[in-house]
Amino acid sequence: MRTTILLGMGVCLALGLAGCSSPDATATTDPPSEAASSAASGPVELTFQSWVPNIDKAVDQFNAAHPGIHVTLETITAGPDGGYAKMFSAVKAGNAADVAQVGYDWLPDFVRNDAAEDISSYFKDSASLFADWQVAAMTFADKVYGVPQASSPLGLYYRSDVFAEAGASVPTTWDEFYDAAKKIHASNSERYIAAFAFNQTPWLLGLSEQAGAVWFAANTDSWTVNIDGPETMKVAQFWQKLIDEDLVKIEADMSSEWYADIQSGNIATWICGSWGDAIIRGNAPDTAGKWAVAYMPQWQAGQKATGTWAGGSANVVLKGTKHPAEAAQFAIWLNSNPESVSTLVSIGAGWPSIKDISSIASLQSDPTVFDFYDGQDIWDVFAESDSNVASRWKWPPLVPSLYSAITDNMKSAIDSKRPLGTAFTQSQTAMVDALKAAGISVS
Amino acid sequence: MAFTRDTPTPGVRQRTRLSPAWGFVAPFTVMFLAFYLAPIAYALVDSLFATKSSGLGFGPPQRVFVFLRNYTDALSSPAFQASLGRLFLFCIIEVPLMVATATVLALLLETGKALWPRFFRVVYFMPYGVPGVIATLLWGFLYIPATSPVLQGLKAIGIGLVPLSSTNVLFAIANISLWLYAGYNMIILTAALQSIPTEIYEAARIDGAGEWKLIWLIKLPLIRGSIVLVTLFTVIGTLQLFVEPLVLSPLTTAISSDFTPNMAAYANAFTKNNSSVAAAMAVIVAIIAFAMSYIFLRIVNSKGRQAW
Repeated sequence: MRTTILLGMGVCLALGLAGCSSPDATATTDPPSEAASSAASGPVELTFQSWVPNIDKAVDQFNAAHPGIHVTLETITAGPDGGYAKMFSAVKAGNAADVAQVGYDWLPDFVRNDAAEDISSYFKDSASLFADWQVAAMTFADKVYGVPQASSPLGLYYRSDVFAEAGASVPTTWDEFYDAAKKIHASNSERYIAAFAFNQTPWLLGLSEQAGAVWFAANTDSWTVNIDGPETMKVAQFWQKLIDEDLVKIEADMSSEWYADIQSGNIATWICGSWGDAIIRGNAPDTAGKWAVAYMPQWQAGQKATGTWAGGSANVVLKGTKHPAEAAQFAIWLNSNPESVSTLVSIGAGWPSIKDISSIASLQSDPTVFDFYDGQDIWDVFAESDSNVASRWKWPPLVPSLYSAITDNMKSAIDSKRPLGTAFTQSQTAMVDALKAAGISVS
Repeated sequence: MAFTRDTPTPGVRQRTRLSPAWGFVAPFTVMFLAFYLAPIAYALVDSLFATKSSGLGFGPPQRVFVFLRNYTDALSSPAFQASLGRLFLFCIIEVPLMVATATVLALLLETGKALWPRFFRVVYFMPYGVPGVIATLLWGFLYIPATSPVLQGLKAIGIGLVPLSSTNVLFAIANISLWLYAGYNMIILTAALQSIPTEIYEAARIDGAGEWKLIWLIKLPLIRGSIVLVTLFTVIGTLQLFVEPLVLSPLTTAISSDFTPNMAAYANAFTKNNSSVAAAMAVIVAIIAFAMSYIFLRIVNSKGRQAW
């Protein structure tokens, strides 16, 4: 008897830890059916995997509005920290969730590994609701593999009190950023205008994108990879100068040290997407009223160039779902229904992917957010930034390999005092080699 | 696996005893098969394949048999070679430090003259109860100037210590491992010391042996087996170096994602979604651990080569 139980346990565990806890494998007994006809045999059960904090509020709204479908939220580790690995394994094992959170940078790997469902036929009527460049990011070989949730247009979060104490003005160009960096560090040797986040490829990538770099372009049947082009090198040289003159602090962002520094004002700015607000408010609550957001500093005065934090985040219907129609319906509603989008904005999911944001309540007025910025409507900055996203990038597969290559090469360049540019040059070679090794064409 | 060897009973008796015997070993066997042998077999098979795409990479991927290609790729990669070199260097730092510390602590607490030996035994053992990740997070705070009172105090008296610089980082990691496991190893050695009959000490004392002679000529030779065991555990544990550098990695530029072979395997499996290369790397580490344990045991067990 004991043997049988243990055997059962062992098999269940061996089949994947996700399988035992996720209700989708066992709870659904009704056959695949249309939402309308399933009402008789109980609602269609779906599982949604996401790591966005408090996204359950939006899921609850969906469930309340859709008696024929019941979505269970499964909170998982953030994708790059193991969440994606879990999804890939579950797809392989045949017990994946129905809908999952996937970044624009990782989506090509889901398509490459045949882990995402083609939802073109369900999505085509709703495609016009979403920003064109984000729909393009979901599209591979004319098939749509995800519903865009949020983009990450960049803005400059800054400590107005630290700038005022140092007599520095808020930079509108990178030259002014350099001047402000000198003033802030001169006012107090512990203070720096920013952290040089060697760990954060999406940040470096956003800065390069803003300078006009296009790291990846898709040709008919091959990729053009240009990670160490002149625009990226310009960014590398600028930050090199700041590092050489001890005007930025070399420190991983969103690390315990970094959190201590944004609380104390030792780090005075952060270039990040709109969701950065939730991070700052959550981790430095005592600094309420001291923050403000400005548009990104420019390489040429008067321009409005911007970048994104690795594109954005999507909801993908995973391969193997029994209810692709309902899963797609959920993903589309979650990211286009005005009330749901309003919830997503207020929980810090990112900047809405839909074109028409005039009816999104939390973007019009959100006292908990605006009060933290001394009454500033920070969404104005991100709305303008989002409208200026150049979106000339096309993500190739294997971007995760690129991230670890850039972080490793950045660390080694800093550690051995080599120019930052060498990190991009080495990463260019590493990425081209990785793509070729995987059988992907590079021209 | 000892049970198969220890039950060479004759045919008739064996048949009658078979079913209850299996009942007792089945839980172990099932778990052993499911969580030990099956994953090893799976990894071995997986390490011989690769996923190949073509064109832009968005067509259906193909799983191709590449035989030992993942192994040769891993072994010829400079980053993986560097991680192996780093690991051997860490072994050279960590193993003698660990064995010496555990032995000294055990001997000190077993002299009979130590103050509150039971209390200190528990104190030294306590870090072992702290999970490695938590311990490393705590030490991480102590290693960073912004959050470490120790480093701030040292700076105030003019000592600018940077534990996580590339020159110091291996020692910083060795310190965490030492703090975590020295107490555990001490307990093993203490148990061995306590099993030595006290008459031997009395006899030695009558013969005029002092404390030092007792240690060198009686205690250490008699707990030799346990010291060998502790050394072996430490060598194997050291080769698996993973948690400490992984957790410290975001705090410093000195630790890359392929700092140790296990970290390189982890990065391949969990951030690069390339389980085949990860499997090959894991197998390489396993073979090295096996070879080093074998060589070490051969050296210490060969006749006439007693260490003392």
